[in-house]
Amino acid sequence: MAKTKNDLSDWVDNYTSDLFSWAKHKVSNSELAADLVQDTFLAAAEKMDGFKGDSTPKTWLFSILNHKIIDHYRKKVNQQIPHENESLSRFFEPEGNWQESRKPKNWYDEEEEHLLDNSDFQVVLKKCLDALPEKWNLCVKLKYLSEKNGEEICQELEISTSNYWQIIHRAKLQLRECVDENWFNN
Amino acid sequence: MKKLMHILFLSCLKATELIEKKLHFKLSYTERLQLKVHKMMCDACRMYEKQSDFLEKGIEHQQKADLEEIDIEKLKKEIHLHLHHH
Repeated sequence: MAKTKNDLSDWVDNYTSDLFSWAKHKVSNSELAADLVQDTFLAAAEKMDGFKGDSTPKTWLFSILNHKIIDHYRKKVNQQIPHENESLSRFFEPEGNWQESRKPKNWYDEEEEHLLDNSDFQVVLKKCLDALPEKWNLCVKLKYLSEKNGEEICQELEISTSNYWQIIHRAKLQLRECVDENWFNN
Repeated sequence: MKKLMHILFLSCLKATELIEKKLHFKLSYTERLQLKVHKMMCDACRMYEKQSDFLEKGIEHQQKADLEEIDIEKLKKEIHLHLHHH
């Protein structure tokens, strides 16, 4: 039996809330999550003829949403970033040792756990994360967003494992320095 | 001997790379050994690892932070509208 526009309309009323919660959990951004849910229903409208009722509408919609989420990640991860190769020479001498001025210095005046609960510190950390190029920002968060391991993430996003941890390496170097300057005043 | 030195001694760039890789992938036996030897000799990279681990906890912590709520009813209306125009 062909599904009608009325069915889809009911699904919007019934499943938007669940789809949105899931998307928000996966991308940790409300606005983006809302867009992805909207795209999901638009895609569903186009593919309506292909829905045979083998699964429940809810399962079908979630599978479309999950594809949208992975597509979004894949696009971000494959972005080209200008001057990516220069980012390491900011920290290391040509032969690979720390630049004297960039060597990590001691941080711990405060207890680690207290610091994580300190909202001022969280604000600084967030600012530093947001200052990273989008692709780097995503890569350092993916482990926690997807709750998957490195191998699985790379497979899904179609990037090589070495590419993935080299991005994370650059991102963490920059993040560390930003926190160092803006919180520990080193 | 020279070959052995080359295998054992990493640059700080490579050492910090392994410190990050370790958080996502299993290191090989050689990599674990290389990193261990390097950290025994290098204060800066030992410090880096401690701070990197701490930042990792911070990143995880941020993901649990509450996100701004949005009005679901409003979102539904917008979607209905878009579907209608489709």
